[in-house]
Amino acid sequence: MLARVAENLYWMARYLERAEDTARLVNATTLMLMDMPRGASFGWEGLLKVVGLDEAFHRLYDEASETAVMSFLIQDERNPSSIFTCVRHARENTRTFREVLPRESWEWVNELYLYASTHMAHALDRRKRLEVLTEIIRRRQAVVGLLAGTMSRDEAFQFMRLGRNVERADMTTRVLDVSYAINLPYQNSQYYDIVWMSVLHALSAHQMYRRHVGVRATGHKVLAFLLNDVQFPRSVRHCLHEIQSALDELPGAEPMRCLQGMLSLVEGADFRTLAGRGLHEFCDDIQARLADLNEVISRTYFRAAHPQKMTQTLFSLV
Amino acid sequence: MKIDCGHYPLMGGFDELLEAPGKPRDGAGGLCDFFAELPADELEARHRAVDAAIMAAGITFTVYSEAGNIDRTWPFDVVPRILPKAEWDRIEAGLKQRLAALNRFIDDIYHERNIIRDGVFPAEVLADSKNFREACIGANPPFDVWAHICGTDLVRDGDGTVYVLEDNLRVPSGVSYMLENRQLMKRLFPELFARYDVLPVDDYTAQLHDMLAALSPRAGERPEIAVLTPGIYNSAYFEHSYLAQQMGAHLVEGSDLVVLDDDCVYMKTIEGLTRLDVIYRRVDDEFIDPEVFRADSALGVPGLMRAWKQGKVGIANAPGSGVADDKVVYAYVPDMIRYYLGEEAILPNVPSYLCMNEAECEYVLANLDKLVVKPANESGGYGMLVGPKSTAEERAQFAELIRANPRNYMAQPTLSLSTVPTLCEDAIEPRHVDLRPFVLQSKDFYVTHGGLTRVALRRGSLVVNSSQGGGSKDTWIVQGSTPC
Repeated sequence: MLARVAENLYWMARYLERAEDTARLVNATTLMLMDMPRGASFGWEGLLKVVGLDEAFHRLYDEASETAVMSFLIQDERNPSSIFTCVRHARENTRTFREVLPRESWEWVNELYLYASTHMAHALDRRKRLEVLTEIIRRRQAVVGLLAGTMSRDEAFQFMRLGRNVERADMTTRVLDVSYAINLPYQNSQYYDIVWMSVLHALSAHQMYRRHVGVRATGHKVLAFLLNDVQFPRSVRHCLHEIQSALDELPGAEPMRCLQGMLSLVEGADFRTLAGRGLHEFCDDIQARLADLNEVISRTYFRAAHPQKMTQTLFSLV
Repeated sequence: MKIDCGHYPLMGGFDELLEAPGKPRDGAGGLCDFFAELPADELEARHRAVDAAIMAAGITFTVYSEAGNIDRTWPFDVVPRILPKAEWDRIEAGLKQRLAALNRFIDDIYHERNIIRDGVFPAEVLADSKNFREACIGANPPFDVWAHICGTDLVRDGDGTVYVLEDNLRVPSGVSYMLENRQLMKRLFPELFARYDVLPVDDYTAQLHDMLAALSPRAGERPEIAVLTPGIYNSAYFEHSYLAQQMGAHLVEGSDLVVLDDDCVYMKTIEGLTRLDVIYRRVDDEFIDPEVFRADSALGVPGLMRAWKQGKVGIANAPGSGVADDKVVYAYVPDMIRYYLGEEAILPNVPSYLCMNEAECEYVLANLDKLVVKPANESGGYGMLVGPKSTAEERAQFAELIRANPRNYMAQPTLSLSTVPTLCEDAIEPRHVDLRPFVLQSKDFYVTHGGLTRVALRRGSLVVNSSQGGGSKDTWIVQGSTPC
């Protein structure tokens, strides 16, 4: 497999995962907003911090109003991580390796892009937002399903799997980290449950949590579920296992060594303590290790593509 | 809107579907009936569906313009062009004959040059050739074949004669659109295919693969084959990636490849370097190897020519093939066929006047308003003068160009290209078409069933190039004269 193609596959999967995760996050936030007391000033600033884009935002906008933040996260092409930019990048990347994917993949990614380019503006309106973003998620999931159902588990597939899970693990720790910080003031209020529930919602984890853990969203249980559950596909541990199986199919030993440390960290964590203090540092640590892993993956597999040039990066995360 | 062949306004020339209003040609009756029975709103609905399908499939080509490069969707017309199998058989034989002679010519030019010594081909044409490559002298590609993929442009004149207009031997494009057009037609009018025996076209990519595999320097079941593209911003990038995908080949850019001291070509992969056997290059000669050709090229691979000349890698089309893709050399193809094969050309050339010959040049200059003047080495319809549509000023300008460099110009009478009914703004109107079949040669020959029919979408226009507002149609080679 060509190094350049491997790199584009990896990033295409990251872009699509980021687009979907951001869409889910925005949807969950919009819904949660409706549960909050009307006088409460909602932390739009906080949402920007979750995705690590607060600084980038303030270079372009003055005030973090709902309109500005939504526009920035959903459709602003100046934001390298906006849903639309991610979809556009994913499409551009897909164009460069159409030959390695099942034929419809390109068509579906292209259709996702065409949908996004005509509908994103509607998502600024609260009434339409849910519908448009849900359609983005649906179309992205269709691509995932298509690949799962029609593509050989070859190297190309493994690179997409790597990209998807590195991105997803990163997003999970970010949502956890920041939602927790935002929610801290409500620790002892009537909104306590809602707050932890909203974390679950932001990661589309509430239903599986209820089914496998319980109805009440208790701090340490939520943490254990989102960080260490083996079965839930958005938990950090599950993502790491996915990365592990993808690496098993690829040459090179260094990425695997890098992964092992992270796995032990997650498996050995004490979630009761973390629910009280140290969660921020813990999440930071995981994010730094994910960035290291990304670096090692680039060095191991993509370097042949351009020995001097920097590899593709999304400025906010890695 | 309805497609009503009975009230179709013929243009006076040769129409591919109708002999006269209401009178379909052999094989076209079923098609006319089908369209006549199709309710108007149904046709429009299907037309919209096909536009959406083209958009979704991202079938695009890039148009270079001053305002930047625009990715345009492929303009496709729903009315197919039909050719009876019996007529096609003759054309196919003519195409093989022509490519066989052209390959003998190229091989001769880079070796003994018997054809010049024997006075059949003038040495001065070669001396002025822009596409002759010194570096290719003495090279011995497999099977002595240089041009493996040829896109021959055919046109039909008013009296029904099919002529060869040009031989595209460098990096001819368009075959992916031929394949896509058929896919679209099947989606759009499945019931039509039940009425007709249309010869399938989708065998092409398998044939292309086998043709390329035969060029592999290493014995083995699965040679490593790659399509070399200039990259995503090339106008034919869609086709490059399409062909790579269909053949299960790698799609590479110059920077993905490296030639090592052993003169073999390697791909940069996730596991390091992997040897490459055959390159289907879609990069012009001048750019493929900065060590030999343009040193400033970032599209090529340093050392590629070295590897090719030593037989360590197969390249299609071979570097230097373009020497026979020249509108002046074209005029000598019937002579080549006689000289190398001892046969008469099955497909005639369009009568051509070479400005390098004084008498012919005088004739051209005196008749600029009636002729089409073409530069020898341009492609894509650039730099042409279409006499009957030109202004006095343009003609004066061309006369100067011709006098300054007569070798670089040739002229042909303006043909009244045949027409095919075409769905226009609000009616079915005749539009001029040409036909580009694709011919393969390495170990064996292969000719596509039909080819890409390009259509000049503007009324009366003769320019079919997609870069200049042309569209395309599906082309049907139909078995038997009466459809069931």
